[in-house]
Amino acid sequence: MKRVLLVALLLVGVTFVLSPFAEAGSKKDGRPDGGTLNYGEYGRPATLDPITSNEMISLRITELVFNGLVGINEKQEIVPELAERWEMSKDGRTYTFFLRKDVTWHAREGEEAKPFTADDVIFTYKIMMHPKTITPLKVRYEFIDTVEKLDDYTVRFTLKRPILNALAKFSFKIIPRHGPANPLYLTREDPFVQNPIGTGPYILKNITADREIVLTANDNYFKGRPHIDKFVAKPFADQNIMTQALMFNAIDMIVLVNPRDIPEIQGDKRFVLQPYNALSYSFFGYNMRNPLLADKRVRQAFTYAVNRQEMLDSFFNGQGTIISGPFAPGSWAYNLEVQPYPFDPEKAKSLLRDAGFTPGPDGIMQKGGKKLSFTLKVPIEKESEAVKRVVLAFKNYLKNIGVDVNVAFEEWQAWKEDVFLEHDFDIVFASWVFDDSADISSLFHSAEIGPWKNNFIGYSNPEVDSLIVESKLTLDHEKRRTINRKLHAILADENPYTFLWTLTNYAAYNKKVRHVAIHPYKFFSFADEWFMAEKDQN
Amino acid sequence: MKTYSQISGEIGELSNLPFWKKAEAVDLAYVGYGLLIVTLVVVSYVLGAFNLLPHDPQAINLELMMAAPGTKGYPLGTDFMGRDMLSRLIVGIQAYFLPGLLAIAIALILGIVLGVLAGYRGGRFDTAITYFTNLVDSFPRLVLILLVIAAFKPDIYYIMIVVGLTNVPVVASHIKGKIHFLTQKNFVEAATALGLPTRTIILKHILWHNCRSVLIIQATLGMGEAILMETSLSYLGFGVQEPTPSWGNMVQAGANYLMQGKFWPSTAPALAILFTILGFHLLGDGLNNILEGKRGK
Amino acid sequence: MKVSSIKPIALVLSRELMITVLLLLGVSLVVFTILYLSPGDPFSVLLEGQMSSEEARAGVREALGVPKAWYAQYLSWLLNMLRGDFGTSIRTGLPVLKELLRVGLNTLVLTIGSLLVTLALAVPIALYSAVRGTNKVSWPLTMFAYVVSALPVFWFGYIVIYVFMHKFGLFPLAFGASSSGKYGWLYAALPIFVLGFGNGTMSEVIRFLRDEMSRVMDEDYIRTARAKGASIWKHSFKEGFLIPVTEIIASKIPFILGGAVIVEQVFNWPGMGRMAWQAAQDRDFPVIMGIAILAAAFVRLGSLFQSIVYVAVNPRASKE
Repeated sequence: MKRVLLVALLLVGVTFVLSPFAEAGSKKDGRPDGGTLNYGEYGRPATLDPITSNEMISLRITELVFNGLVGINEKQEIVPELAERWEMSKDGRTYTFFLRKDVTWHAREGEEAKPFTADDVIFTYKIMMHPKTITPLKVRYEFIDTVEKLDDYTVRFTLKRPILNALAKFSFKIIPRHGPANPLYLTREDPFVQNPIGTGPYILKNITADREIVLTANDNYFKGRPHIDKFVAKPFADQNIMTQALMFNAIDMIVLVNPRDIPEIQGDKRFVLQPYNALSYSFFGYNMRNPLLADKRVRQAFTYAVNRQEMLDSFFNGQGTIISGPFAPGSWAYNLEVQPYPFDPEKAKSLLRDAGFTPGPDGIMQKGGKKLSFTLKVPIEKESEAVKRVVLAFKNYLKNIGVDVNVAFEEWQAWKEDVFLEHDFDIVFASWVFDDSADISSLFHSAEIGPWKNNFIGYSNPEVDSLIVESKLTLDHEKRRTINRKLHAILADENPYTFLWTLTNYAAYNKKVRHVAIHPYKFFSFADEWFMAEKDQN
Repeated sequence: MKTYSQISGEIGELSNLPFWKKAEAVDLAYVGYGLLIVTLVVVSYVLGAFNLLPHDPQAINLELMMAAPGTKGYPLGTDFMGRDMLSRLIVGIQAYFLPGLLAIAIALILGIVLGVLAGYRGGRFDTAITYFTNLVDSFPRLVLILLVIAAFKPDIYYIMIVVGLTNVPVVASHIKGKIHFLTQKNFVEAATALGLPTRTIILKHILWHNCRSVLIIQATLGMGEAILMETSLSYLGFGVQEPTPSWGNMVQAGANYLMQGKFWPSTAPALAILFTILGFHLLGDGLNNILEGKRGK
Repeated sequence: MKVSSIKPIALVLSRELMITVLLLLGVSLVVFTILYLSPGDPFSVLLEGQMSSEEARAGVREALGVPKAWYAQYLSWLLNMLRGDFGTSIRTGLPVLKELLRVGLNTLVLTIGSLLVTLALAVPIALYSAVRGTNKVSWPLTMFAYVVSALPVFWFGYIVIYVFMHKFGLFPLAFGASSSGKYGWLYAALPIFVLGFGNGTMSEVIRFLRDEMSRVMDEDYIRTARAKGASIWKHSFKEGFLIPVTEIIASKIPFILGGAVIVEQVFNWPGMGRMAWQAAQDRDFPVIMGIAILAAAFVRLGSLFQSIVYVAVNPRASKE
C-alpha cells in the first residue's frame, strides 16, 4: 500500500459538456468485446465501497463499480453520468439534478435488478453524513445544507453558501438504498463494504481466497456494455515480483510502476508505459518551532543547497517537474512566473553567513554555540528505495554547506505521532496528494496548527492567512486565481517547505490492451472504453 | 554411595590430556576457520576506526550509481547511492557484532540463571520458570519482533534483545535437564558431601564440565540467528536503517536489482553472511567436538 | 501402541491442555500490552487519507463504542474470545476468526511442508553422520546443509524465482497454482522448498539430531545390542530418533512461522504471515491478537505432540 498524505479537494473543471446518451447494450463503436485484464496492485484493499474506503486501491475498484451524478471526462470536463442534466439557481445555492431513468443496480444473485432512483441519491448523502459513518468524504460535503426529493427522478441540493465549482463535487459515488444491511450508517463491518453493488460498468463477482478481486462486465451498463469481459485485481506483496509478473505475462497491467523498473519496461516492445500526472508533490518541511529554522534565510539556504534536477535525473529518470511553490503544477493555481530556486551552494553559504552563522571547528555552521544540526524524520516503507535515495542525497547536499542532518527512519504510525501530534522533528520528508487541485489552506493557515492538523510545521503568517481566507470566499475564478498566484509567490519566498517536484506516474500495460485512457487520480474512469483485439483475448 | 570422582569419571568429566592434543585435525580446522571469521570482524573494526577503508562507506556519488564490480577504484562496484560496496561490506559486520554479543549474553546469562534456579531449587521456581520459557516459546519470533519494533523503534539493539530473550528457553531447559540428570546420579549430593561450596558445584562442575558444549553451541548459533534475523527484517524495511551499512540492508537493496540480472550487489553481502554464519557454526561444532572428545570412536 | 500407554497419555493430555490455556492467556496479555504501549492508534487506519482532527479521532472511538481504559478493552476482548468471538478486523471489518482459519490453513501447509523438507534432508544426514562419523559422504552433505541454513531466505527466494523464470520459463508464484494446470503443484512446492531450505534451522537440526543419536548409540544397552549383533536401529529408534525428532519439530515451529512472513511476501502466498505483517503496521489489534493466539496454539500443538510421543515411548514420564 502506498502511504500518502491526502488533502481535500477543490476542483479543476469549469466547462460543462453535454454528450449524447448511449443506449444500454453493446457500445456499437466497432470495437470487439471480450478478454480478461489482470492488473497488479501492491497491497490488498481493505474495503470496496466508495464511502468507508480510504485507499487508492479501493478507489480504483469503486471507479469500476460505481457512478456519480456527474463525471469527469478525459479533458477534465464535467459530463453527465447518473444525472442527465442539471439546473443551478441564480444565487448558486441550489442545484437540481434530473436523473437518468434507464439505470439499474447490479443484480444480486437470484434477485431482480432494481432501478436507480432519487431515493438512492438521498440515501447515499444521508449515510455519508451520519455521525457514525467514518468516511473521508464527510468533511468535503459539509457545504451541503439539505437535499430533497422532488420526484422519483429529480433531486435538489441546497448549499449553505455558494462555492466555486460546486458542480464537480457531485461526482461522489452513489450507492443503492437496498445495499447496506444497516440503512442508517455504514461501518466496515457491514457486508456491503466487501460485497458492494453499484451502477457502474463492472460488477463485483467475487473475491478469491487470496483476495484477488474479480469484476465482470455489466451487460446493462447505461453507457453501453464495457468491452473487456473481466477485470481481475491481483494483490502483490513485493513490487519487484509484481514487475516480473508483468514481464512474464502473469498480469497485463501495473497501475503504478516503481521508477526503478521504468528502464526495464521501456526497453521491452511488448509493453506500453503510459504517463499520467498525479496532483501531488514532495517536499522537505521545516519545523518553525525550532528557532534556527524559523529564520527564513536558513530555509532558503537549504533550498539553494539542494540540487533537485540532479536527484530527479538520477533517481526518477528525469520523469517529473521541479516546482517552486505550494500548488501541484497541473493546477490552475500554480504560478508559472515564480521560478524554482536554482542549485547554488555558494548562495546558500552566503545566506547562512548573512544569518550570522560561521563554520565551527567540526565544519558545521554555528551561531552563538548553536549548531545547524537537525533530525530529519522519514517514515519507513517496505519498498522505499526512492525515499531513501532522496533523503540521503539531501543529507549529503546539506553537508556540503556545513549543515548536519541526522536521518531517522521511523515506523509509519510512530512517524505520524511524532510529526502530527508531538511535533517532535526538525525536518520531515513527505508528499501531499491532492485529489483535485488547489486547496492548501489546511497546510499553511495558522488556524490549522494543532494536534493531528495538517499545518504540522507550525507555519504562521497573517498575510498568508488572510489570502487563504480571501481565496476561499472569492467566487470569481479569475480573481481567485490572482490571489492564489500571489500566495504562491509569498510561500515560495518564505520557503516553509523545500518544494521538490511532482513526479510523473507511469502505468505499464501489455500492448494487447487498446484505447487506454487513464484518469490521473481515479485511474479506471474510462476503462469501459478499453478493449482487446479478438486475437489477444485468450 | 559412590564417591565424587567415581561419578565424575562416569559422566566423563575427568581427563588428563589437554584437549587440543586429543583433537582431530578437522575440528582444529573448523575452529581455525571460525576464529578467522572472528579475526575478520575485529579487523573490520580496526579498519573502520582508523579510516583505512578504500572509500568512506557513506560517501555518496550520484554519478556512479550501481557501478559494476571491477570499476576503477571500486573492486566490488557501487550501490544504489554510488557508495563503495567493498567499504560498506567491511564495515557492515559491525552492525551485528556487538548487538549479536548482547543477544548471546542475554540468552546465556538469563538461560543459565533460570535453568539453575529451576533445576537446583525446583518446586515453585521450576513451575514459574517453565511457564515463562513456554510462554516465550509460544511466540512466533518474527511477529514478536515486528510488534516490539512497532512499539519502540527499529533499532538493532531492540531486535537483539528479543532474539536473546527468545533463546533463553533453550539454554534454560538444557541446564535444567542436565542438573536433573546429575541429581539423579547423586552427583550433586556427592559433591556437597565432599564439602564443595554450592557456587563451585554450579559454576565449575555443572556449568563448565557438563554444560559447556550446549553453551558454546548456543552462543555460536545465536550469532548466526542474529544476522539472519536482521536480514529478514531488512527485507521488511525494519532492519538496520540507512545510512548505516549492514549486510542485511545491503542484500535487500541489491536484491531490488536482482530480477534485472544484476546479481552482484546482493550476492556479495549474501556471501559474506553465508561465510560468516558458516564460520560461527563450524566454530561451535569444532569446539564442541574438541571439548567433549566426541570423535574417533 | 499398547493399552497400558493410553492412560498416561490422557493424563499428559489433560495437563498439557491446562498449561496451554494458561499460556494462551499469557500470550494475549503480553501482546496486548505491547500493542497498548506502541505509538499509533488502531483506529487511525480508518482516518487515513482525510483531514483528521483530534475530534475526528475521538469521534471514531465513540462511533465504534470502544472502551476507554486498557483493561476494559482487554477484558471485553477476552470475554468475547471465550465465547468464540475473535472480533472483526478494524481495517477490513471482516470477522477475524474466519479470515484467520482461511489464511492460517495456507500457512499451516507452508510451515509443515517446509518442516518436512528440512527433516527430509537433515534426518538422513544426521543419521548417517551419527552411525558412520565424519567421512567423504557425510562431510560434504553436512557442509551443504550448513551453507543452506546460512542463506538469507528472501534472497534465496529471489534467486529461485529468477532461475525458474529464465531457465525453465516458469513463473513460480503461489497464485499460479490455481490457473496453470500442468505445473500447478510446482507453484505450491517452490515456496515450501525455499522455506524448507532457507529457514535457517537446518544446521541446528542436523547437529541436534546427530548428537542425540550418537549419545544414544553410546548407551550401554545399545552397545550390548551391537555386540550381540542385533539391529541397533530397532533399539535406538525410540530414544535416538523419535524423541529428538519430535523435540526439534516442536522447538522449531515458532522459528519457521517467522520465516513464513518473508516467504509469503516473496511468493505471494496468501498466508497468516502477510496478514500479521499488515496488521502489525495498522495496529489492527483484533487481528494481531487472533494471530498471536492461533500461532501460539499451533506452537503448543507441536509441544503437545512431543509430550505424547515422549509418554507413549516412556510411560513412566507421565508421573513426573
